[in-house]
Amino acid sequence: MPDIRKIKRKLKKAGFGSIEVSEKLGGVWLRGELDEYEQILECGRLAVDKKTSRGVINDIRLKGYIPAPMRIPSLRDNLYEGRTPDVLVVGGGIVGCAIARELSRYDINVMLAEKEYDIATGQSARNDGMIHAGIDLKPDSIKVKYNMRGNKLYDTLSKELDVPVRKVGQYVLLTKKWHKLLYPVVVLRARKNNIPIRYVCQKELDRKIPKIGYRHGAMFFAGAGIVSPYLMCIALAENAVQNGAEICLNTAVTGIEHKDGRILSVATNRGTIYPKVVVNAAGVFSDVIAEQAGDRHFTIHPRKGVEAILDKKASRITDSVIGRFAMKSSTGKQHTKGGGIVRTIDGNILIGPSAVETPEREDESTTCESLDEVLVKQQGLTGELTRSDIITYFAGTRAATYEEEFIVEKSPVIQNLVQAAGIQSPGITAAPAIAEDIAKFCTEILSETKKIEKKKDFNPIRKGIPCVRELPIEERAALIKKNPDYGVIVCRCEEISKGEILDAIRSPIPATTLDAIKRRVRAGMGRCQGGFCSPVITRMIAEETGVGLLHVTKKGEGSELLTSYTKEVANDNL
Amino acid sequence: MTIYKAAVIGGGPAGLAAALAASKGGKVLLIEREARLGGILKQCVHDGFGVIRFGEKLSGCEYAQRFIDEVRSNKEIDIRLLTYVIGIKKNKTFHITATSSSGIETYEAENLILANGCRERTARQVNIHGTRPAGVMTAGVAQNFVNLLGVLPGKRCVILGSGDIGLIMARRLTLEGAEVLGVYEAKNTPSGLTRNISQCLNDFNIPLHLSATVKRVFGNKRVEAVEICKVTEKMEYIRGTEEILPCDTLIVSVGLIPENELAESLSVEIDPRTRGPVVDQNMQTMQDGVYSVGNALHVHDLVDYVSETAETAGKALLQPAAPRELVKVDAKGFLYLVPQRLDLASIKDSTVFYFRTAVPRKAATLTVRANGQTIYARNYTNLKPPEMEKISIPLKPRTGEKLEFILSDKEV
Ligand SMILES: Cc1cc2nc3c(=O)[nH]c(=O)nc-3n(C[C@H](O)[C@H](O)[C@H](O)COP(=O)(O)OP(=O)(O)OC[C@H]3O[C@@H](n4cnc5c(N)ncnc54)[C@H](O)[C@@H]3O)c2cc1C
Ligand SMILES: Cc1cc2nc3c(=O)[nH]c(=O)nc-3n(C[C@H](O)[C@H](O)[C@H](O)COP(=O)(O)OP(=O)(O)OC[C@H]3O[C@@H](n4cnc5c(N)ncnc54)[C@H](O)[C@@H]3O)c2cc1C
Repeated sequence: MPDIRKIKRKLKKAGFGSIEVSEKLGGVWLRGELDEYEQILECGRLAVDKKTSRGVINDIRLKGYIPAPMRIPSLRDNLYEGRTPDVLVVGGGIVGCAIARELSRYDINVMLAEKEYDIATGQSARNDGMIHAGIDLKPDSIKVKYNMRGNKLYDTLSKELDVPVRKVGQYVLLTKKWHKLLYPVVVLRARKNNIPIRYVCQKELDRKIPKIGYRHGAMFFAGAGIVSPYLMCIALAENAVQNGAEICLNTAVTGIEHKDGRILSVATNRGTIYPKVVVNAAGVFSDVIAEQAGDRHFTIHPRKGVEAILDKKASRITDSVIGRFAMKSSTGKQHTKGGGIVRTIDGNILIGPSAVETPEREDESTTCESLDEVLVKQQGLTGELTRSDIITYFAGTRAATYEEEFIVEKSPVIQNLVQAAGIQSPGITAAPAIAEDIAKFCTEILSETKKIEKKKDFNPIRKGIPCVRELPIEERAALIKKNPDYGVIVCRCEEISKGEILDAIRSPIPATTLDAIKRRVRAGMGRCQGGFCSPVITRMIAEETGVGLLHVTKKGEGSELLTSYTKEVANDNL
Repeated sequence: MTIYKAAVIGGGPAGLAAALAASKGGKVLLIEREARLGGILKQCVHDGFGVIRFGEKLSGCEYAQRFIDEVRSNKEIDIRLLTYVIGIKKNKTFHITATSSSGIETYEAENLILANGCRERTARQVNIHGTRPAGVMTAGVAQNFVNLLGVLPGKRCVILGSGDIGLIMARRLTLEGAEVLGVYEAKNTPSGLTRNISQCLNDFNIPLHLSATVKRVFGNKRVEAVEICKVTEKMEYIRGTEEILPCDTLIVSVGLIPENELAESLSVEIDPRTRGPVVDQNMQTMQDGVYSVGNALHVHDLVDYVSETAETAGKALLQPAAPRELVKVDAKGFLYLVPQRLDLASIKDSTVFYFRTAVPRKAATLTVRANGQTIYARNYTNLKPPEMEKISIPLKPRTGEKLEFILSDKEV
């Protein structure tokens, strides 16, 4: 049990005497109202007590401010009414999708509800795409445990799911001369978790990285890797579908009915579902789902990060990852990794992220200032970064808790609730490992009422869409012979063929929007950002799916690309 | 296997004219990525093309069609449509590898003409922030939707940038019944042709706002509004001038960038000012046998000049190859000057130059100096960066001579 009086004293000392502090579900419950968002965050941080408390439940309101409500599709049908899956996973990010795949190994009914028009649209599509080596995580944390296991699992997943993963390693530049003295300490830390580490002298660095900003050498972590996080998420989900799981898009969980420590039903915009077990993998909304399910013992305080993507021409900068050494992160006190320069799996340079606390969970907008901050900061690493190479930028919001720790648990309060919540960085890395444990929890709960067996015909292999650009000429020619559409280039910047785009539209989780296609085959992600290909792809979607041109969207309902026919065409249609 | 006299990459007006010219001396291969020849002109249904060349006002489609008809009936030209060049290697000749529905083929040619046009600068390249909804697109995409697919991208449109395509789209959308709320231009002068300002905006009462830009976009799924902000001459936002303008579409027409990925793969030297290759008066790049024409060389505003430069290249490569003797042309006061080099071995009585002024000039003088001596001078009135000028100058430079082109305000 948390020591409420102690926390009350702490808050009072910091000038927050007005805040009501009490115990709830084994956690610390804060209530009241404050003028500044930063003050609310500070109260939350002060109330952390990892030893005795289950977490901070921060319900302090920001005066005069109501955050935007969760975006819910306007679709109302009863498609899923009365369904009784064994497990309902809430959230189609990489965590939810990895869980769905793990569960599809068993002979059970699995449904996954995702409120957006596609899977992988939240944090899982808006990050660095790094498979972390684990060095900046606290040696005995939950995060590091799942990070290390996840990092390892990526090698198998890459082969099984046909998703490229490259362990390119990460340079962590020492920014001060005396940092070198700390090297033995870092080596000790690294050993605890079997993290390979090597010192790289400046001479070697100068050969590898142009116009490098620091002169004191670097540490190199060979275990770090890169992956397309959304492609991995999609691959996991597709493989789950192949093995019988059902992915329900445009399906938002809006309420959960529970009684006597059990969830009875889950309300969605597409009908009420009666699952035996509910898995909370709702990312930045995981505390909202926890509340609905009756076990909210933590709070998500969204932390936004802005990233920029540079033209492939800038890839001369590095073929791995470059970051800088920070005292704080080496002691596990800093919550973001300070960002850096990443050569993405597709050969672009990515710089970022920043870290800004925000009361908005779904605000993915950027500002000039936030982009400048990222650029200027990372320009410190190498003088080779230039603004004119930036082709696009975006933001993602981390699902941070006040404990800054993952929650991976079988709820002690609600018998049939399992939570994978507060999964911020390194969530991409950790997801496959988290999924193993969550699947285990689910089968344990289900085993109480029936015998759970592994599927005999589980197929771990998923074939991806061929990337014709990367094939050796002979293979490419052979593929075109089989299907001539692979020979016709539609996206000229990324050299993506008509065949690949059709494959995406016809894939197990059909990509019928511009953005969904983009995430699967990269069409429109190059330097012209869809200038040449978006009209062509729009027409392909309309033809393949049989909807009119006016119904084709960028990212689901409400984002129609076109508003009407021209006068001439409208007359012809009369 | 046929060894072509020239392989032309890109079947827009530049590629078509180059292919026709080169076909007078041998077999020519014309490779086009799309299903139809004509390049960007396929979507230019407005008129104003061909005034210089044909003395008539044609639509872009009609202009292109005249060349297409000729190319189609020319037995010396082999056409490959829906064919995309993925790599070029040079040994003695050029080996061009291309992909199409019939597979991957490699062609061989003595000369290479790069006519692959340009791409549009995007909203993100001009630092537009905010959300990422549907309804933000470049003017060329909007034009493609309207003119090729017969669909409108929006009902209430804001246009950023006063480039020609944006101006033409302002008129086109208005004629189609969409509301164009205004054209916003960050510079204090419009970047489109004067005739387009008058015929596309003034005639339709569409306001042009200078020294103003779009800073942010609002709306989650579809554009709901944009934030307009005044800017200084140095392009800094002026605080307090922000204004929210409700609309459902933002069309950006903020410049074209020559496409030179293929040229770069051949280590062709690029001029940072044109963003196209450095060429001599024959449009030959600094790599022997590689020519660059049309918008891939530098962005043209009139297609007539595109055809003309392309013909220059097509004809030049038919001349017996002789070692080049290149002299650098220094240029001051220009946004750019093409050609950037002169080949003394093949220089004719007069040489054609294309240029844009760096800044608007009411009265200007173009001076040519050889080793410091003025050898040519000409006066201009009303020079503007958006309007490309062409001039033919009699020049006979000698080896080792320092050649300078200076564009300056005329002293009064
Ligand atoms: C800027 C940034 C950089 C990062 N870099 C890295 C990195 O390099 N390496 C790394 O390992 N990690 C990184 N991370 C962390 C990583 O991205 C996340 O930890 C991971 O994506 C979390 O996945 P998730 O599935 O939990 O969340 P999400 O991907 O956010 O998925 C949650 C899903 O749940 C859905 N949902 C929510 N509520 C409901 C509801 N009521 N009904 C139905 N659906 C709902 C949402 O729509 C969403 O799709 C980064 C994060 C950010 C923001
Ligand atoms: C919207 C617009 C309006 C205009 N309005 C006018 C006007 O009113 N009057 C006027 O005189 N001029 C106008 N112009 C200018 C003039 O038409 C252009 O400058 C001219 O079209 C440029 O011709 P181009 O052949 O260089 O390029 P493009 O027309 O762009 O042709 C390039 C071709 O190369 C192909 N290609 C590219 N890469 C490859 C590859 N790797 N393999 C194979 N093929 C490839 C492309 O598909 C394209 O067909 C306008 C231009 C535009 C864009």
